[in-house]
Amino acid sequence: MSKTVKIAIAGEGGQGVQAIAKILTEAAYGEGKEVLYIPNFGVEQRGGVSVAFVQISPEKISALKFQKADTVIALSARAVRRTMQYVDENSIFIYDSSIEGVAEEVAELQNTAKKVLSIPALQIVSEELHPRVFNMLIMGAVIGATKVVSLDGAYAALEHNLGAKFQKDPSLRDMNRNAIQRGYDLIEL
Amino acid sequence: MKKPIEKETRAYMTGNEVVAWAALAAQADIMYGYPITPQNEIMHYWTRLAPQFEREFLQTEDEASAGFTTLGGVMAGRRSFTGTSGPGHMIMQEAMCMAEMMRLPLVSIIQQRGGPSTATVIYSQQESTLACYGGNGEGFRVVYSTCNHQELFDYTIKAFNTAWKHFFPVFVLGDGYQAKMREPVTLYDPEARGVQMIPTKPLLGLPGTPGVDRDPAQLRNTYNTEEELFAVVEDLRKAYEEIVPQVAEYQTYDCDDCEYLIIAHGVVTRTAQEAVKNLRAKGIKAGHFRPVTLRPLAADALLPIACRAKKILVAESALGQVKRMITDGIYGCTTPIETLYKPGEGIYTEEIEAKVLAMAKGE
Repeated sequence: MSKTVKIAIAGEGGQGVQAIAKILTEAAYGEGKEVLYIPNFGVEQRGGVSVAFVQISPEKISALKFQKADTVIALSARAVRRTMQYVDENSIFIYDSSIEGVAEEVAELQNTAKKVLSIPALQIVSEELHPRVFNMLIMGAVIGATKVVSLDGAYAALEHNLGAKFQKDPSLRDMNRNAIQRGYDLIEL
Repeated sequence: MKKPIEKETRAYMTGNEVVAWAALAAQADIMYGYPITPQNEIMHYWTRLAPQFEREFLQTEDEASAGFTTLGGVMAGRRSFTGTSGPGHMIMQEAMCMAEMMRLPLVSIIQQRGGPSTATVIYSQQESTLACYGGNGEGFRVVYSTCNHQELFDYTIKAFNTAWKHFFPVFVLGDGYQAKMREPVTLYDPEARGVQMIPTKPLLGLPGTPGVDRDPAQLRNTYNTEEELFAVVEDLRKAYEEIVPQVAEYQTYDCDDCEYLIIAHGVVTRTAQEAVKNLRAKGIKAGHFRPVTLRPLAADALLPIACRAKKILVAESALGQVKRMITDGIYGCTTPIETLYKPGEGIYTEEIEAKVLAMAKGE
């Protein structure tokens, strides 16, 4: 019934989960969509699981929380365990292939989710790009999986957030854009 | 003074940032505060914005001090406000009660976090009792419970006018979700929409000789006899009761023919209204009543709707704090009341729907 796209992104504090959600939702807002983004973390300064709950819709968004997401992205073993609850038969679950010790969870997800995708995000940024753009590659993957915003919209939001840094070092702009494009291309549904 | 918002602007920001802009738009002169999550960024944004518009900020040594310095600002005739949350909200109650006793137009923004005690920094509706009836006061307060960023903006502005019009402490009761989440909001200059900010005035240090040129400005919170105190509290009660019809606010959603009445406030409003829509699509005549002011409660408006309904569901992210105010407010109504309590946790649309469906089946 609802045309609202629901996305949960989770990782370790410091992996840039909240930055992904902020830039992604700014991109959607910039394209005239209704957006709602709630960050979720505990009292710890670092070392906790950080979750971003995102809703993007052509219509006004009502309820703040959702039980099941259309797309769930988990970037650590703890994040996989934490976000399994948001998966049902309509969900796409994406996790990084480098995550260890979640074989059981992934097997269970393969039964519950519509699709489970393992992507070599960490490997790609380490070998081809730069570890700093890990989260932008993940954002590209989220956009690839959901098509909630255009890549141009994402680039505009990126500019809004990091424009000052790009002015100092224009190569950062290309690196971030490449990461988004690479992430986007990783998703084949 | 330069206007912070020249023309209406659509923006995408956190609730704390919305509050800072609203206080600027409301011509607030100064914020007093002490850091606590999830209220911190009200202070952060205010300290960033205030100097650009000749406004001020004072960080105090704790919340007791933040509350009392805000009262000092108010007594000096400055449009003053503070913001806090959870344990800080508790510590600030002494100043809030003094505002009740001395009729001081204190404005506080509360971003509720989980409780009891330190608990979580995330979200709850567990500070309703505290905001409405905290400390050793008698609840001579106005408490607006907001449900989205637009209301955070509108009611922060309104809080200053309610306070300076009626001279009772006024609370904007948000929560950690509203504080930290981002959603679109329209920022505007209240005067451009025909809302005049009520002028402030000093309550102490007035010109002339007290007793000769003017009456003395006696702001008291200490009394010697029981009889004297009783008379003072009676005067407060009467003054408060007089303003109830002017300040009590509520919202109804599909209540005209509703058989299953969902009562929810704050952000749970959004969940309740979505549930009503979904239940109506399934042929269940559901409706939603929302107290916008938790204090004073619009009990006169609620009573007939509650009495007409077959069953009532009170849903809140607390263990019945607002439900107790509801049952007190609609005393005499015999409609059975069921509850959905999730202290410190958000409520899903599906949970309200399932509960009402079960109620409709007589389970």
